[in-house]
Amino acid sequence: MSEDRVLQALKALAENDRGKEAPLAVETRLLGGFRSRRSNHRWRWVGIAAIAAGVVLAVFMSTNRATKPVVSMGPPANQVPRQEQAPVVAVATLAPHKAARKMARPQAREVVTDFFPLMDPAPPFERGQMLRVQLPASAMRTVGLPVREDHLADPIQADVLVGEEGMARAIRFVRFDVQ
Amino acid sequence: MRNDEELLEAARCGDEAAFTALYQRRQGAVYRFALHMSGDAAISEDVTQEVFLALLEGGGRFDPSRGTLLSFLYGVARNLVLRRVDKKPFEEADEIATDEDVLEDLTRRETIEAVRSAVLSLPMQYREAVVLCDLENASYEDAAAALDCPVGTVRSRLSRGRAMLAQKLTAKAVRSMS
Repeated sequence: MSEDRVLQALKALAENDRGKEAPLAVETRLLGGFRSRRSNHRWRWVGIAAIAAGVVLAVFMSTNRATKPVVSMGPPANQVPRQEQAPVVAVATLAPHKAARKMARPQAREVVTDFFPLMDPAPPFERGQMLRVQLPASAMRTVGLPVREDHLADPIQADVLVGEEGMARAIRFVRFDVQ
Repeated sequence: MRNDEELLEAARCGDEAAFTALYQRRQGAVYRFALHMSGDAAISEDVTQEVFLALLEGGGRFDPSRGTLLSFLYGVARNLVLRRVDKKPFEEADEIATDEDVLEDLTRRETIEAVRSAVLSLPMQYREAVVLCDLENASYEDAAAALDCPVGTVRSRLSRGRAMLAQKLTAKAVRSMS
């Protein structure tokens, strides 16, 4: 048999099968898979966006918390001997937002002291958080700063450096100079 | 009208109409390739579905510089068929006939089924060349891309495959007459 005959025979088979196609059920299943995949793809992006938003929110809250006053910042007395004399840090009170905003108004310039250690000796500091708190002015005496007797009860702002373990490590005092 | 590559790109971006258009354009070729290679409608159905699923999942592996999308689809289908079809030993033709008119003695239907059977009995490497080039009219370049071999190899396999078919069909015709 010649090759031409073979080609004719193959052509006959090809023509006979030309209309053969996959059943409609295959297309239906594939379209179902396509829609499911597209839906999953969308949800994956929603998830990614939610995680990103969560990270941003966490950073924002962390930053915000660092400037928020805390109810109690005092370390255990046995770790901060100076508190026996003047436990001012331990009696820190919650500063109302209103007052904080008032003190942080744009025209007021913030002046801060150096940091004064609250733990002696202090363990190595790797990371922590700085919290803005409101204290009575008498707290300044605990680090040796002078305060007039008639101003001992006045509220003042201070930044407390809190270690990762939750212990108050150092403090600095804040004054607002109106420009 | 958008070409295959454009439809694929749109489908991968979630365009269902593009995916449907691409499927409807190419599913027949993929299905028939699997059918001629396996001789089994169920296998062909599964292979067709898996080829297009793979296209959705791994369409990024398609490289236009290596061939057309159709040759890529044939290549995926070929791999899926090879996993399913038993490696049948090569069946030598019983005898070599010399009468060139014996095929005319077969009815058209018998001829078609005889050819289908003969193609299925070819060794895999010749079968895929014959199916792609002679039954699906794929170009040598597309066939080479699908089979991952040089064009020259496709030509030689095709030539050898046709020769084997001639032997098988002649022998079948002779048996039928006797």
